Amino acid sequence: MIRDLVLRVIAKLLIPFVLLFALYVQFHGDFGPGGGFQAGVITAAAVIFYAIIFGLPAARRFAPDWIIESMVSAGVLIFGGVGVLGIVLGGNYLDYFVLAHDTVHGQERGIFWVEVGVAVTVSGVMLKIFYMFAGRRRDLDQA
Amino acid sequence: MTLAGHYSYWVTMFLMISGLYIVIARGNLVKKLIGLGIFQTSVYLLYIAPGKLIGGTAPIVAASFSTYSNPLPHVLILTAIVVGVATLALGLAIVVRIREAYGSIEEDEILEKDQAGEDGR
Repeated sequence: MIRDLVLRVIAKLLIPFVLLFALYVQFHGDFGPGGGFQAGVITAAAVIFYAIIFGLPAARRFAPDWIIESMVSAGVLIFGGVGVLGIVLGGNYLDYFVLAHDTVHGQERGIFWVEVGVAVTVSGVMLKIFYMFAGRRRDLDQA
Repeated sequence: MTLAGHYSYWVTMFLMISGLYIVIARGNLVKKLIGLGIFQTSVYLLYIAPGKLIGGTAPIVAASFSTYSNPLPHVLILTAIVVGVATLALGLAIVVRIREAYGSIEEDEILEKDQAGEDGR
């Protein structure tokens, strides 16, 4: 944990905006540059920033390992679920056209949920990699 | 096309050669991985730059646009970026293990320890 007051205050000020920017990138992905990959990495970067300033145990209290690990698989499940939903509603796998009453809205709805799945998995994997690198010595000592 | 008209290729070549140089010339394993990252970036640029059309937009059909950039290189490179992240994580994991086994991430020191070990046996 870093005891520098300036860093701690600035971190607390910045992290909400980093998360807000992640949401902007996430929802902007339908129309332009952006999307799930970038938003997921920015979300993970916010938590990694928190971990660097306030220490790894604090970050692990905020985002425990079991949540991170479920995020990794939940995102894939959302992505696959959108695809299977297409089959259930009478289309092909990952067919967005059938998800709403007309084609354009179906496309928008489909890409939205696919991007949500991508963002959840990417941020989960990024945080898992960070936790495993940062907590390596600690986990070995505790074991 | 003039020489300056191909400037994206010049940038690509510069990044590619500097990345390759770092991988070969630096002994520090983390710096080698940074060089590998720069090399990968040049490959991304090599693929993405020809896909861009001047005045082209994202390939979403709309009434006000008629020119679209080619999305195929972008999708290819999206996969390459994900592979790049995985390679970087794997490389760093190996560096962490090397640091634990040898106490150093400098290539010459690691080789020195390897040679000393062989002579001692």
